Amino acid sequence: MKVRRLNKVLLYDEGTSQALNIEEIAEYLRKKLAKVQVEVRGDPFAFYPSQDKVLDYAKKFASIKIQDSTKRMLSGQEPLYGEIEYEKRRILGKTRAFGILYDGLELQRILWQLILREESSLEFVHIFFNNRLFATWNEYDRRYHARVSLYGIPSIISTTGVVEAPAKPREYYILKQQYEMLGKDILELKDAFQGRFIDYEDERLTEVVKGYAMQAVFYALIGDPFCEDEGCRLYNAHWQEELIFAQLVSEYEFCPRHTGLIEDENGH
Amino acid sequence: MAERFSPVGEKEVTRAIVTEFTAQFLEYVESDCIIVGGGPAGLMAGRSLARAGKKVLIVERNNYLGGGFWIGGYLLNKVTVRHPGERVLDELDIPYKEVTRGLFVADGPHACSKLIASACDSGVKFANMTVFDDLVLKEDARVAGVVVNWTPISALPREITCVDPVALESSLVIDATGHDAQVVRKLEERGLITTKGFGAMWVERSEDLIIEHTGEVHPGLIVIGMAVSTTYGLPRMGPTFGAMLISGEVGAEIALEKLHESAKVK
Repeated sequence: MKVRRLNKVLLYDEGTSQALNIEEIAEYLRKKLAKVQVEVRGDPFAFYPSQDKVLDYAKKFASIKIQDSTKRMLSGQEPLYGEIEYEKRRILGKTRAFGILYDGLELQRILWQLILREESSLEFVHIFFNNRLFATWNEYDRRYHARVSLYGIPSIISTTGVVEAPAKPREYYILKQQYEMLGKDILELKDAFQGRFIDYEDERLTEVVKGYAMQAVFYALIGDPFCEDEGCRLYNAHWQEELIFAQLVSEYEFCPRHTGLIEDENGH
Repeated sequence: MAERFSPVGEKEVTRAIVTEFTAQFLEYVESDCIIVGGGPAGLMAGRSLARAGKKVLIVERNNYLGGGFWIGGYLLNKVTVRHPGERVLDELDIPYKEVTRGLFVADGPHACSKLIASACDSGVKFANMTVFDDLVLKEDARVAGVVVNWTPISALPREITCVDPVALESSLVIDATGHDAQVVRKLEERGLITTKGFGAMWVERSEDLIIEHTGEVHPGLIVIGMAVSTTYGLPRMGPTFGAMLISGEVGAEIALEKLHESAKVK
């Protein structure tokens, strides 16, 4: 197996949940990857001299919204004025309101444009953290599926995706449907299921996202971010229960194979 | 001795109704802002604009005002708002209680009647039983008023109703017609805009997004409340009213800015 040499991991805050501590994630990565520099870049729009391009990027983000999860997004959608204004406010850091569903691959293409050309080689790991919910199209069942993360150049990890993408317990959805029909508020329902899934502004969010950041690192190292071991932080969880187990409950962080790879990377 | 009613004849009653209605109608043939839809968002926007001294007419297709604000979900007459919507309840002096963290409940009839009364007290005028028919468009397709007709006309077969509508002019129009987004849809029919249709219900996120997207959607036309959701394809909202009330306020702030800008130009 070919293991790629890494030079630097760069972390960006493209508007995340307030509960996410990116500095803490950086510190974690530094401990795991002793020979790799880890740099927190913060707001990608503030770091790069692209303020004049705010309108440009706002139009791009506004044109990749998914309106119907059963229909593949058409490229070149014409955004409305109000949609562009919302994206402008997001870019300028005036709002972190979220709830729009974006096409993940298109989002990755837009964020790729924010990467400095001299840092676009494979030895740089760019990770964008945000609270945009994104999904990828699946040709087999012809619908979009929400994702926590998308790996590549750059990798994107969504704090909203952590909450919304892996399924909550089955009984939650059955009760949620009943609550909606009765016009009851689902906040009450959430209280009943407290702890059984990661919620918005959850204090466990940073710890969970550390595992996803490592998935991005492993994608860069060996081309595969995932592990089949349910107790390994690289496990591709489809249920909240699996996510909580892999990231918070499991007795070990990484399986023996991935632990070995981390040790090799650190020269042990 | 029992109170006795004044000896007033039928013709005086009729004269009083027609004279007063006509005087108001004539005055409001031109106004600063016409709001289409007298639900919670429209009433809040009208109230805020009128309190700022603007001449506001709300066009409402029903006899009654308040839209869906009389009842909450499942036809039950308790209405809910999430924080920070309780600020509006305080302002309108509507009693409420907190049921869970950040969720407040009030009596629908009490809340709705207080909001209507407050809009009236602020100076908003109403054309109820009046249906929005079309837009008045001027230079560069700027919205400059609405075309209206009596609501019963729209219920009659087209073949036997040759009743032309009339036009009312205004500096701004606000679409507060709820999920129908009737005014925006009319622009869409003319190929001036493409609405997105509302998305799936995602109660938690929809309210923030409605406020974020409240604003001018086309020159001269501001969209507020649930019409925002339809226009932009935002997630559907559950039976909570905070975003509708606050969207009305935000829409009024934007309208005031636009009115001040156009006053400067003139």
